[in-house]
Formats: sequence, structure tokens, C-alpha cells
Amino acid sequence: MDFLDTLSIGFGVALTLQNLGYCFLGVFLGTLVGVLPGIGPVTTVAMLLPISFTLPPVSAMILLAGIYYGAQYGGSTTAILVNIPGEASSVVTTIDGHQMARQGRAGPALGIAAIGSFFAGCVATLLICFAAPPLAAIALNFGPAEYFSLMVCGLIAAIVLARGSVVKAIGMVVLGLLLGIAGTDVNSGIRRFTFGFNGLADGIEFVALSMAIYGIAEVAFNLERKEGATDVTKKIGRVWPAWADIRHCIPAILRGTILGSLLGVLPGGGALLAAFGAYTLEKKVAKPPRNFGNGDIRGVAAPESANNAGAQTSFIPMLTLGIPSNPTMAMMIGALMIHGIAPGPRVMTERPELFWGVIASMWIGNLMLVVLNLPLVGMWVKLLRIPYRLLFPAIIGFCCIGAYVVNTNLFDIYVLAFFAVFGYLCLKLDCEPAPLILGFVLGPLMEENLRRALLISRGDPRVFIEEPISLAFLIAAALLLVVVAAPAIRKKREEALQE
Amino acid sequence: MTIRAPKDFWSGVMFIAFAATALLAARGYSLGAAGKMGPGYFPVMLGSVLALIGLILVVRSFVIDGDAITRIQILPLAIIAAAVVLFGLLLQPIGLVLSLALVTVASAFASRESKPLEVAALTCVLAAFAAGVFVYGLRLPLPLWPAMMG
Repeated sequence: MDFLDTLSIGFGVALTLQNLGYCFLGVFLGTLVGVLPGIGPVTTVAMLLPISFTLPPVSAMILLAGIYYGAQYGGSTTAILVNIPGEASSVVTTIDGHQMARQGRAGPALGIAAIGSFFAGCVATLLICFAAPPLAAIALNFGPAEYFSLMVCGLIAAIVLARGSVVKAIGMVVLGLLLGIAGTDVNSGIRRFTFGFNGLADGIEFVALSMAIYGIAEVAFNLERKEGATDVTKKIGRVWPAWADIRHCIPAILRGTILGSLLGVLPGGGALLAAFGAYTLEKKVAKPPRNFGNGDIRGVAAPESANNAGAQTSFIPMLTLGIPSNPTMAMMIGALMIHGIAPGPRVMTERPELFWGVIASMWIGNLMLVVLNLPLVGMWVKLLRIPYRLLFPAIIGFCCIGAYVVNTNLFDIYVLAFFAVFGYLCLKLDCEPAPLILGFVLGPLMEENLRRALLISRGDPRVFIEEPISLAFLIAAALLLVVVAAPAIRKKREEALQE
Repeated sequence: MTIRAPKDFWSGVMFIAFAATALLAARGYSLGAAGKMGPGYFPVMLGSVLALIGLILVVRSFVIDGDAITRIQILPLAIIAAAVVLFGLLLQPIGLVLSLALVTVASAFASRESKPLEVAALTCVLAAFAAGVFVYGLRLPLPLWPAMMG
């Protein structure tokens, strides 16, 4: 298909009044909830998933994507104004961003974050347009062996890029896979791991699981910390940065965008790694005088561009291969499945309006983000003052309702309670939940592809190393494991991923 | 022998517990063969790997030093989990408005910083908001009021 054709399909879908409305609603709600203290993007998407259930699939995806980058931007706002990163990927923004705020330059910090994010979003969206079709075309030729190895590689990458212990992360992936295959086995009709509960016949509900871990367990974990008085910056100043500031930041934004776009495609901490990488790079190559750590505006521009580019390009593996690169993408896949769409390379050819519509809406959403945020900053600042004690009962209430309405099944509420306790223990034990969520989504797919691959090869496991593409994925996975096991690199990784 | 890495030790125990449950449950599923995988093949494979990882963590926790677990506060967690279960038990009989109000009040007890008047106000706002958005706005199939009130 011609590039312009596809773009016109996309904008035709995204520019309908209805979808523009949902895009706006998503960006608005995402920012609104993302700004609230203690609620990061993943929790935001999990909590707002139920709103999308009753919508047509295209609108649902547009809404969720809007929520995702809205929440991402909301997280940066809190990072700059109150020194609390909404999520790990805006941790580095706090370094120079909050310093700027203390020097009375909160406005330009927020402004440059928005401008950098918008530019990065535009580039990343274009990149998706060009990279997705050839990638999907390659993926269409994948057999079960290639798919299985690709998933192995993706999961290993997610482990390597996760924070904390690698052994624990592998454990969490395997546990996620196990939980993912609970329910009725499609081939034999046997109910696995249902322990006599009818409510588990269709497996563990993904929405309940993710809400339990990212919503309720987080609440229980956050309540243990004493709520301190937050140091909210009072003076915002002019939001639109001076032209000199913008010009000063252009190279930083460019570098951040390129690095972020590349790193975002990788499974695991795409946006996280992008932000850290961009900041480190900037510290080394930016033109002197460098003032990093004391409110250098480029220390905000680079990581903010990078994490938005990364957040955007992380859609590539999700849309083309059906493989999530982070928990938010896993939720998008969950949402697609609720609408009866199996994510994968076929989505692009069979549902072009969905595929290109979502991509076009990303660009529109990024534009809305700038337009919405610059004038509304004053309102977001007020939201920042809402104490957590008023927020957490609301989170719990929304999760309860959300878990129920997916299938209107009361059992899912008990699943929610069970995994909330489990999720709390994981947080206490430093077991990262992200690999578990990825494993959970990929569990049934992995089993099916393993089964098919071995069926074709008549049980000969050599099929995975005889197919060249499959072998390449497995070698990549092995290399990643070796890299992370090597002591020198391990130390670097710990430094880089440290908060 | 002393446990030198409590977080690793208990993570290992947790993985082993899940693996044991999975392997026990999978006894009833036929394994099949590699070329003709039965419903038990993949679960047994995963269960074994998980058990192995758990074992590595447990053994390693006696050898390598690691972090201690920060104190587990049972009460807030128990209150929150109970509030969720309560919602499940009460949603059908008493409807969304009342059960959500109860969940809000109950979970507020999980924080020592909650203040009665604030909680009361929050409860009203949340119940009204949820009814408005989920039932009237999105038309999700949720009972609004107690069954007997129709």
C-alpha cells in the first residue's frame, strides 16, 4: 500500500468527530490521573481500561493510547513540580527539572518537556509508519518455531532490562507463563489449574490480575510510607520557553529522540532505558557550559524527548508482532483481545483502519497534549495537592468495579483480592511484576507455537535451531543472558538501572 | 546455617510453592510426547523450571548476602483485601451505590491518616460519580440499588 494511502486511511479514521473526542478524552484523563501523586501510567491505564470496553475497537485503542501518553506526560509534570517521578522513566527528569522549578523556572521546564515530547512523538510516529509494514510483512512468514523463539528472545530481553535480580525476573516470567495457561486447554478441552472453580474456566482474567498488581497491591505498599508534606512549587512562571532556551535544546531533543526511538523498540524498560540513556549521553556530549544536576534545561529536554519517543515506538512490536514490550502494551493487547482481535502481523492487512487509525491518532494525541498541557498547568498543580489518603479508596473502588465489568463475573473480584495480596508480597520481596505480566500475556501463545512447531517436526527439538530466523532469535537471547551474567556489564547495568 | 538474603529466600519459597501446586495439579493432565503435546506437557515443563529457579534462590540465599525484608504490615493489606472481597459479596444483593460506599469506608481504615468527615464526603462523591459514569454514562450492567427496591 502506498504511504499516502495509508496515511489518509489513518487520518480518515482518527479525524472523525467521535475518535477525536476519544483521543481528547484519553489524553485529558490520562494526564489528570497521571498527575495525581502515587499513580503512574500503568496504574492509570489499568484503572481506566473499563471505560474502553463498551467502545468500538478503534475508538478503544485510540482512547487507551491517549491515556498512556497523557499519563506519561502527567508523570513528568509531577517529576518537575514536586520531585516525585510518576514512574521510573521520569526519574531522571527530577534531577534537573526539579532544580529548575526551585529556581523559579518550572514553567520553561514544563514547556520544554512538552515541546520535546511533541517533537519526539512526531518523529516516532513517522518511524512507526515506515518500520511497521516491512516488519509485519516479515512476521507474516514466521512459522511456529520462529514465533516461539521470538517470544523467548522478547521475554529474555524483558528480564535483562528489568530492574533487580535476573534470577527472580526469570522466575516471575515462568510464573507468569504458568498463570497465563490456566483455564480450559483449547486442544484437549481439559480444565487446567482451575481447582474446581467455574470462574477460572476461561483462565485468570488479565484485567483483574493487572489491576490487582498495579492498582491495589501498590496502594497497600504505598500506605506503608508516611505521607510527608509535599513540596509543591508555587511559582510556575511563563510556560512557553524563551527562543534562546529552545534553540539551546534543539540538539538535546534530537539526540534524545533518536536514542529513545531505537531503545523503545526493545522489550523491557523501553521508555525507562531511553530516558536514562539520553540523560547520560547528554551529560557527555552537550555543548559546554554544562550545568547538569543544577537545573540545566537540556537535562529535561533530552530524557523527556527520549521517553516519549520510546513510549511511542514500543507500539511497533505490539502492533506488528503481537508481542508486548512493557506492561502497558500488555494491557493494550488485553484490550484488543476483549474486542475479539488477536494482535499480530495480520492486524495491519485485515484491519487497516484500526492499525493506521491508531497511529494517526498518536500524532493528533501528541498535538493535543501540548495544546492541553501548556494552558492547563495551573489546574494540574492544584491536583498535585490532593493527599493520598483521599486517592487510595478511589483506586480500590475503581479496580473493584473494573474487574467486575470485564465479564460481569463476581469471581473476578475475588481474583482481584487474591492477586492483590500476591502482588504486595512480590513488591515486598523485590520481585518485579512487569516480567510476570508479559509472561502471562504470552503464555497461551507460547504453548500453542511450541506445540505446533514440535508437531510439524515430529517432536524433534532441533527445529528451533535449524530454522535460521529462529536460530537468530535464540542466539540473541543467549547473548543477552551472557551479557547480563558478565560481571563487568552487570555492574554497569546495576548503576544504570538504579533509581 | 543462617539465611543471609531473606528477600531471595522467601522469593524462592514462593516460587517453589507455586511450582509444587502446579506440578501436583498437573498430575491429572496427560503429558503426551514432544511431537504430540498433551495438556500436561507445557505446565510440567514450566513447573519444573520454576521449581529449579526457586531452589537456586533458596540455596543462594544461604551463600550470598542480600536485603532484609522491610516489615510487613498485615493490617492495611488485610483491610484492603477484605474490602475487595466485601464488594464481591455485596454487589449483587445491595447494588453498586451502597457496596461502593462500604468499600470506600472500609478501605479508608487502612490508613491512619484518614479523617471521618473527609471519608464521608469522598464516599458520597465516589458513589455518585461511579453511578453516573458507569451505569448512566457507559451503561455497564451493574445493579444500582438493592435488589428488592427493583
